[in-house]
Amino acid sequence: MQILKYNWFFYFVLMLNYLKAQTNSTIQFYFTYNSKPLTISDSTLPLLDSNGLQISNLKFYCSNIQFLKNKKVIVEEKNSFHLVDASNSSSQKINVAITSKLLFDELKFNLGIDSIANVSGALGGDLDQTKGMYWTWQSGYINFKIEGKSKQCNSRNNEFQFHLGGYTQPNYCLETLIFSLADKSLIDINVDVKKIIDQLKLQEQTKIMSPSKDAVLLSKKISTCFEILK
Amino acid sequence: MQKKIIIIFCISIFLLAFHYTENVTFFVPKNWPQPVYDFTKNPLTKNKIELGRALFYDPLLSRNNTISCASCHSQYSAFTHSDHALSHGIDDSIGNRNSLALMNLAWQKLFMWDGAVNHLDVQALAPIHNKLEMDENIANVVTKLQNLKLYKFLFYKAYNDSNITGERTLKALSQFMLTLVSSNSKYDSVMRKQTQFTKQEGNGYTLFKKNCASCHTEPLFTNNQFMNNGLPLDSALNDYGRYTVTKNANDSLKFKVPTLRNIEFSHPYMHDGRFKKLSHVLNHYTKGVVKNKTLGIELQNEVNLSSNEKVDIIAFLLTLSDKKFLFNPEFSYPKNSFQTAKD
Repeated sequence: MQILKYNWFFYFVLMLNYLKAQTNSTIQFYFTYNSKPLTISDSTLPLLDSNGLQISNLKFYCSNIQFLKNKKVIVEEKNSFHLVDASNSSSQKINVAITSKLLFDELKFNLGIDSIANVSGALGGDLDQTKGMYWTWQSGYINFKIEGKSKQCNSRNNEFQFHLGGYTQPNYCLETLIFSLADKSLIDINVDVKKIIDQLKLQEQTKIMSPSKDAVLLSKKISTCFEILK
Repeated sequence: MQKKIIIIFCISIFLLAFHYTENVTFFVPKNWPQPVYDFTKNPLTKNKIELGRALFYDPLLSRNNTISCASCHSQYSAFTHSDHALSHGIDDSIGNRNSLALMNLAWQKLFMWDGAVNHLDVQALAPIHNKLEMDENIANVVTKLQNLKLYKFLFYKAYNDSNITGERTLKALSQFMLTLVSSNSKYDSVMRKQTQFTKQEGNGYTLFKKNCASCHTEPLFTNNQFMNNGLPLDSALNDYGRYTVTKNANDSLKFKVPTLRNIEFSHPYMHDGRFKKLSHVLNHYTKGVVKNKTLGIELQNEVNLSSNEKVDIIAFLLTLSDKKFLFNPEFSYPKNSFQTAKD
């Protein structure tokens, strides 16, 4: 009698497993400058153009990943925040568990941190305030950060620093990226760093370090610098 | 069989009891509003409070290990920086504002004189990173903590593993600061009908309710708003308060309405510590208010108080002093915690 009972349970678990068979979808970010991979390391930074452009820091948050089919969300990674760092290859790969047999035709995610997480105090994981993506004199996450040098910059040591963020209107900086794509388990996204640099207009401005209209405008422009690799 | 059940029952009761002694229930004084702080995200425990207290008193939080939170927030002055108009930090640097007194923080939504900080957990990041205060970096603080036996031990006690992160550090600091509740002044005893005001204090209370309470609202003695109280701009500091955060012209010259609890001990007064005495503050409200666009409606009409009435109001304000709070040994320098490091 006892054994029979356990058998039942065993089949039940097996069935559940079959129904919920999980696969992983992987989102892989690539950072390229003029179609060449961008490398940021502790050693000497490569010169990227004739103005001596060097990029020393490039990071952003990718959050609230959703897979859609016919505009309906079929898989959603709730309360998940990924800090993608051009200098750290393991951060550029995001695995999302997807129940197999679900087909999607669209990928959606936020570039940055939503306003709720921004007012939720100390948070862990990639949102830990030690990650260098949080303003301290004024509360709020930095959604996107790019720093470096270029002779185009009329600033001390020719440096530029762009820290884009802001969680309250009218300076709410969160951008939503939407890509149409064929269902596949490996999604490659290219971050076109040349295009980002062109948007910065380094000869005109060399820094943004607080929530502002400029930060909102630039975030919008930067959101167009992400593309699906076919 | 029955015996076994009884034993298991007893053990579980024992474990449960142990569990509950570790948890600390946050006490909301009678007739006070519900706290703003979400305790479900950071439930108080004895060991986390102990950890937070050690962090609060540890100068390790500053670049050269000289300045702790307590340097500018000392208990005897209601956790503010006594006798300094502008608080001073690392290398004797003088800051831009008078440090705020710390108490009843669970009821506050925005922090700092200008409300730049939106949550108690992230408040400490501001002084830690400020070049004139502690000039450190939270990531570096965490590294320093990870290298110390004391904190491996205290984090282990608090979180059941010795993993030290920014989140845990900040939340533990919040835990200690949340316990800084002041609700045992003479005023509170009068409200609980345990004692009575003197005639002068009672008269002061009546005048207070008429002239001051719309902003310094009972029982917290603040409405938690940002107001322009008519202080002339100090042209050396050019501090426009809340405007610097919101960039909204309507917020120009507005500063946090501070609590008046323990006001006897938290001098000097105002965001820049410009008034040394309570009488100076009252003189400002009767004679010194500068009218401009953002001045609080409450101060549009002149405040008229005779010198006797001012004395009565001050007598009432002194009833807001809470000696139990100012001398509570649970809030003082945690000698015992630091001693364990040496053992």
